[in-house]
Amino acid sequence: MEQEDIVIEMSHITKDFPGIRANDDVTLQLRRGEIHALLGENGAGKSTLMSILFGMYQPDSGTIYKDGEPVTILSPNDATDLGIGMVHQHFKLVECFSLLDNIILGAEDSRLGFVTKKKGREKVNALMDRYGLHVDLDKKVSDVSVGIQQRTEILKMLYRDNEILIFDEPTAVLTPQEIEDLMQTMRSLAKEGKSILFISHKLNEIMEVADRCTVLRKGKCIGTVATKDTNIEELAEMMVGRNVSFTVAKEEAKPGKTILDVKDLVMRDHHTKKNTINHVSFDVREGEIVALAGIDGNGQNELVQGIAGLMPIESGSVIINGVNVTRRSIHERIKLGMSYIPEDRHKHGLVLDFNLEEDFVLQTAKDKQFAKHGIIKKKDRRDYANELIEGYDVRSGQGSVTIARSMSGGNQQKAIVARELDRPHCLLIACQPTRGLDVGAIEDIHKKIIHDRDKGTAVFLVSFELDEIMNLADRIYVIHGGELVGELDPKKTNIKEIGLYMAGAKRDDRKGNQQ
Amino acid sequence: MSEAKENKKPLYRFVRTPFARSTGASLISILIGILCGFLIMLICASFANADPGEGFALLLAGPFSSKRYAASQFGTMLFYTGPLILTGLSVAVAYKTGLFNIGAPGQFLMGTLGSLLVALSINTTGNRGLGILVWLLAILVGIVLGILWALIPGALKAFFGINEVITCIMTNWIAANIVTWVFSARPDLMNTGAGKTGYLIQPSVTGNYTPTLGLDRLFHSGTYNSYLDMGLILAVLLAVLMWFILNKTTLGYSMKACGYNKEAARYAGMKHRFYIMVAMGIAGGLAALAGSLYYLNPNIELQWQSVYQELPSYGFDGIPAAFLANCNPIGVIFAALFIRYLSASGTFLQKAGYNKYFADLIIAVIVYLSGFARFFRERIERTQGIRDKLGVSYFGYIGWKCKRFGAKFQGCFSSKKQKEETTVTKPSDSQSEEGGKK
Ligand SMILES: Nc1ncnc2c1ncn2[C@@H]1O[C@H](COP(=O)(O)OP(=O)(O)OP(=O)(O)O)[C@@H](O)[C@H]1O
Ligand SMILES: [Mg+2]
Repeated sequence: MEQEDIVIEMSHITKDFPGIRANDDVTLQLRRGEIHALLGENGAGKSTLMSILFGMYQPDSGTIYKDGEPVTILSPNDATDLGIGMVHQHFKLVECFSLLDNIILGAEDSRLGFVTKKKGREKVNALMDRYGLHVDLDKKVSDVSVGIQQRTEILKMLYRDNEILIFDEPTAVLTPQEIEDLMQTMRSLAKEGKSILFISHKLNEIMEVADRCTVLRKGKCIGTVATKDTNIEELAEMMVGRNVSFTVAKEEAKPGKTILDVKDLVMRDHHTKKNTINHVSFDVREGEIVALAGIDGNGQNELVQGIAGLMPIESGSVIINGVNVTRRSIHERIKLGMSYIPEDRHKHGLVLDFNLEEDFVLQTAKDKQFAKHGIIKKKDRRDYANELIEGYDVRSGQGSVTIARSMSGGNQQKAIVARELDRPHCLLIACQPTRGLDVGAIEDIHKKIIHDRDKGTAVFLVSFELDEIMNLADRIYVIHGGELVGELDPKKTNIKEIGLYMAGAKRDDRKGNQQ
Repeated sequence: MSEAKENKKPLYRFVRTPFARSTGASLISILIGILCGFLIMLICASFANADPGEGFALLLAGPFSSKRYAASQFGTMLFYTGPLILTGLSVAVAYKTGLFNIGAPGQFLMGTLGSLLVALSINTTGNRGLGILVWLLAILVGIVLGILWALIPGALKAFFGINEVITCIMTNWIAANIVTWVFSARPDLMNTGAGKTGYLIQPSVTGNYTPTLGLDRLFHSGTYNSYLDMGLILAVLLAVLMWFILNKTTLGYSMKACGYNKEAARYAGMKHRFYIMVAMGIAGGLAALAGSLYYLNPNIELQWQSVYQELPSYGFDGIPAAFLANCNPIGVIFAALFIRYLSASGTFLQKAGYNKYFADLIIAVIVYLSGFARFFRERIERTQGIRDKLGVSYFGYIGWKCKRFGAKFQGCFSSKKQKEETTVTKPSDSQSEEGGKK
């Protein structure tokens, strides 16, 4: 116990993937009881480094020490034996299992081959009380919000008595309130002596909760700093290698004719027999960005999927560019000029087993540009892919033939944004367009969205990030309980007021809402 | 400390490419399969009066088991390969669209039904030109029937979301009963020759059989011609066509998109119902053509009476042919050839005292193991990774693995009590020393 407080040291780790060195001689030390942030651009190799620690990949060279002893971690089981747990960037829960089953899965007690859940439930209940992480254990994963799914993942780690907790971008999918709760949880875990490794692109979170921060750039370790000795700008510069501006300059909007017109829309959940969207009316005109603010689970997903045609509409109408599309197919909506950045990039946004050039033409594969008489024009498709990769800085190991599944989360997101922004369109529905992107990429995408607006696109933005909304929006609607409770002007309001609307504490009586 | 060796030997790098890894994995599955087969032969030899050595040799020799008839046996093996390629393609194409077409036997039967009804009802003996026209018509009718038949589970899946596996199995049996029922009403098509009961006449009787293009004589043993006809050529061409459709056309692109991620396909405005129907249609057509080509061979006759009792194995054999080839249409050609090669020894195995179905058994084992190909690929990857890291040879790796296992095993007994109290266990101490020494 000479080096008393270093629990984990990853020393000179190098890892190659086809076409790319994901980690290049990276050294990282984790002290006991600290919250250690890992920061870096999209594709810098953060997830890879953590996956190595969790035993999912083998490093090509380098050694991992636990409590000063070199260890070999060949699989997540080994990692669990060493007390290392991980919450992945994309959750790994079994959809059709209950939360309890998910938590105890793989560590369950059994008697004569039958699983006995009673003990497990008691232990989970104790953990929930101790850390204030409450979930309804009997619900199925598919029925709960991402925030709850994440709590489940955390409980899963705690249930296994892990002492080293890895969080890969835990806050990307959370609402501000949930983030606040998570920060609180992390602090109390650290106080209990658990050591936390935490990946995030949100610098203010890192400043708030982390003790130290290690910065990666293009696989290399740039350095480790104590957060109390640094500031947001410095961190951003360390990570991107240039100055980043957090607000994007934009001109006054010049709205033109109405592109998206939603009238008295009602949507229903046929399981619960409740209205998820209740008499919602609004419009988006060309050349303006209209943002929808709200706490997750208040009907944003339903509203957007109703407009996009993925979910059925009960009554009311959706009009795109003058055409009533309420009962029309998704294909027709796309032909009318709808672009849509979906909230769930793995479910809707990408075919993960396609490569980039195939994923870039998901909607346009049959267009003259990419096919002739039903035969794919491979070269044109490849050229187009390279253009997008260049223009949107999509980083990957093998360029246009990289399989989407192997790309880093942020770069997958960039690929979707590139496809939707580049396709000819008059309406852009953007759900969490910058989810999981680094600050440099966010700046870039924000600029591109504003540029798109200036070209005359009607932009409908859904975001949980109030900063993003304040930054981009020309008009703001707030949704609460499936109803629009307020229409605000970003110049005349502030985050606090929006928060009141979001929480349902304040509401305007707008014409569309009642009766 | 363990540094990765900067090894630049070409062989070293080759065995680490994805191609080498997956081919290696397939070969390992096949090898283990053959070994298991041999084991079973050994075991059976002890209570049947059989010679395992000879049996194994016969099995590996395939169609060459019989020296005298090797050429014609080989040609006949090629003939049997054709329909298998087609049912394999049927399963593979459907699978690429996310459908498990276990209905190939039924579609195969519907193809048989349609083709034989046409080919046996019209007599064109003496006029080969007309015969070929009727043959074409017979094939077309068979294909259409097969497509329509496959569209039943296709439509149920597309419009009502009913699992295609269940509906396919049901349509299989319905097809089998229809075939028996229809032919029982056609006594005019029966072969009334001596010693034949329940057989239909051969298409060569009515003159509407598959052109052989002289291929049957190309592979002959003495006066004994093989069965080979142009069906094999058609099957290979169709495999190439399927490969082209899946990889080079927008149709294939959309079908794959629906198969890999239905939600994303829907999001992108693709009509996933339509593509499910198209995929099932193509699958049905291919399986039906397999049936048509098989029974339109001049030498084959249908035992119609027992069809309702047993589904044709061709339909089911398509599944292993497809999966052994990882659903790659070109690969299906070789997988089908391989399977037929092994089963060609079938009747000859009796010489060594084995039942003629023994070859099928061994194929089944190999196919079963082909399901593990992916598992082997991952093992290869991991082993190579660990070896690189420890910088040890293959034997060094095995030694290391044994020690590690021993340590785990001990840990299970010694630290059981400890586990309960101090929840943080360290059964890894012994193994960490290992890592450190290297
Ligand atoms: N399994 C894999 N196969 C091939 N390449 C991979 C694989 N996993 C990651 N990579 C590549 O390694 C690089 C680093 O990826 P990683 O996921 O670690 O990035 P990251 O820092 O987590 O980025 P993000 O912030 O976008 O999540 C990427 O360029 C990615 O394309
Ligand atoms: Mg990542």
